[in-house]
Amino acid sequence: MTVASGARPARATRLGQWAQELRALLRRWYLQLVRERAHLVLTLCQPAFWLVFFGLGVGGLVDHATVGTDDYTGFILPGVIGSTVIGSAISGAVPLLWDKETGYLHKLLSMPINRGSVLLSRLLFQVVVTGVQVAFILLVAVVLGVRVATGFPGLLLVSLVAALLTVALTAVFLALAYHGPGHNTFFTVSGFAALPLLLASNAFVPLAAMPGWMAAVARLNPLTYANEASRQLVLGGWHPRLVGYLVGLSLFAAVCVTAASLAFRKQAGGAP
Amino acid sequence: MTGEAITTTGLGRVFGDRHAVRDLDLRVPTGQVMGLLGPNGAGKTTTIRMLTTLLAPTSGSARVAGLDVRRYPARARRHIGYVPQEKGVRHLLTGRESAEIEADLHHIPRRERDRRVTEVLDLLGLLPDADRLVSEYSGGLQRRLDLACGLLHRPDVLILDEPTLGLDVPSRRQVWDHVRQLRDGGGTVLLATNYLDEADALCDRVTILDRGREVVTGTPAELKRKVGADVVVVRTRQPDRLGRALAGLPWVRQVKVVDADVSVFVADAPSALPAVMAEARRHDVAVLRATYERPTLDDVFVHFTGHVAAGAQ
Repeated sequence: MTVASGARPARATRLGQWAQELRALLRRWYLQLVRERAHLVLTLCQPAFWLVFFGLGVGGLVDHATVGTDDYTGFILPGVIGSTVIGSAISGAVPLLWDKETGYLHKLLSMPINRGSVLLSRLLFQVVVTGVQVAFILLVAVVLGVRVATGFPGLLLVSLVAALLTVALTAVFLALAYHGPGHNTFFTVSGFAALPLLLASNAFVPLAAMPGWMAAVARLNPLTYANEASRQLVLGGWHPRLVGYLVGLSLFAAVCVTAASLAFRKQAGGAP
Repeated sequence: MTGEAITTTGLGRVFGDRHAVRDLDLRVPTGQVMGLLGPNGAGKTTTIRMLTTLLAPTSGSARVAGLDVRRYPARARRHIGYVPQEKGVRHLLTGRESAEIEADLHHIPRRERDRRVTEVLDLLGLLPDADRLVSEYSGGLQRRLDLACGLLHRPDVLILDEPTLGLDVPSRRQVWDHVRQLRDGGGTVLLATNYLDEADALCDRVTILDRGREVVTGTPAELKRKVGADVVVVRTRQPDRLGRALAGLPWVRQVKVVDADVSVFVADAPSALPAVMAEARRHDVAVLRATYERPTLDDVFVHFTGHVAAGAQ
């Protein structure tokens, strides 16, 4: 009487089923996001406010010699993108957190889907959301007069850098949401992590202008390297070390995703 | 499929040093509604998590639809319709969208999907509300949608965890009616509940769990018989005459007379009541009032576990 027999389906069927479940999960994330209008609009606009008010306001105070350019808005553009990625990675884990707390995640995991599909669909979805945010930020930056040294191909690479960082950080926060004991811990830890991650990096201040110990900390921060890469593309120009940054960020993302998928193989944390 | 839809052998799960479930031998024959009854913390949900492959057993084994859940978790999941205890989810999806997404997650082929979704929504009477957001649904509608989604892939076994928790009386009755419909259609259901009246109303057989162990298993009627006999109580002006007339009849186990009340202990009170009335008429005894009492599953629970069920009403 079942649709599926007990036998293992053929490889082609399995691929088709995998695509079907990913599409269904993405549809669910999409519908839930677009039906929260206010949340959606604010999510898209908030980073641009940063760029306008922080860039134009604080920019007037900044000594151009310290930041190494007279285009402070261009200088903080990578930082604004970085802070957007951090916010996106945290809010990207929240739907999973609610699914866990309401019991829906249990239902999902009792279905004949690949356990990795929940993680993968969430990562894909968050990369697209961040992509839209970054596109909007870049558009505002261009309107504000930022001239990108590497032109349009450079903008695409800036987006790639943002995508890699999104994958890495979202994977980490998804693992925290899945494995942690509950939403209190999740919001405490993510709230605690967000600011140091942003401020102990070169997002708004160059490493050379920091006290030595702080620069040392910032050098351990993956966001610093994402910023370096984007800053090179926006203010500097094409340079061989961009390859190093991109390879490093890709490795970092791969490590985070592997760790998260191992976490997803285990039992979810929280109430038994 | 015939035989047993669910079989567990010495199934156990330990959390730290706490035995959530111990040495459980559960048998759910195909086509029956089996109740897992017990207070909160008795091990019902842990048992269900192991059967639905969400939790690995620490001892023993479990088979669902003939498949060992530890060796073939992915295949076993295809045979299970699981309706978990959800804590007031307010999805921003319509009922139809929710069902479509779950159908896709069960890999129901796209060309069958929409027909199947409409079928289960119709079965649960949800078509009029299918295109409203689930966040606007009442608790009862929400539970019916959960049930509908559990049926999408025509599972061999439907596992319901507290299906009427927190529902008002009419919604509860509605859910019961749907579970009965499923049973009448030949479906196998494992139902965890801490409502004794629910187990009594729906289950062919009941296993009572307490502190992770099976306490007793049987049909609700058997269990109640073990606890005590049915009693027909007749109030009359001639209690002694009626008592003498009934004592010694083959279907009467015992007669007690207290003041104007004659208590007649019998095997089955509803069928004995007319016979008691006939005896009264034959001996010219005027009956003022006649009632009967039967043990409830509450009595069964208290009898076998020595304490009152948390969910007893």
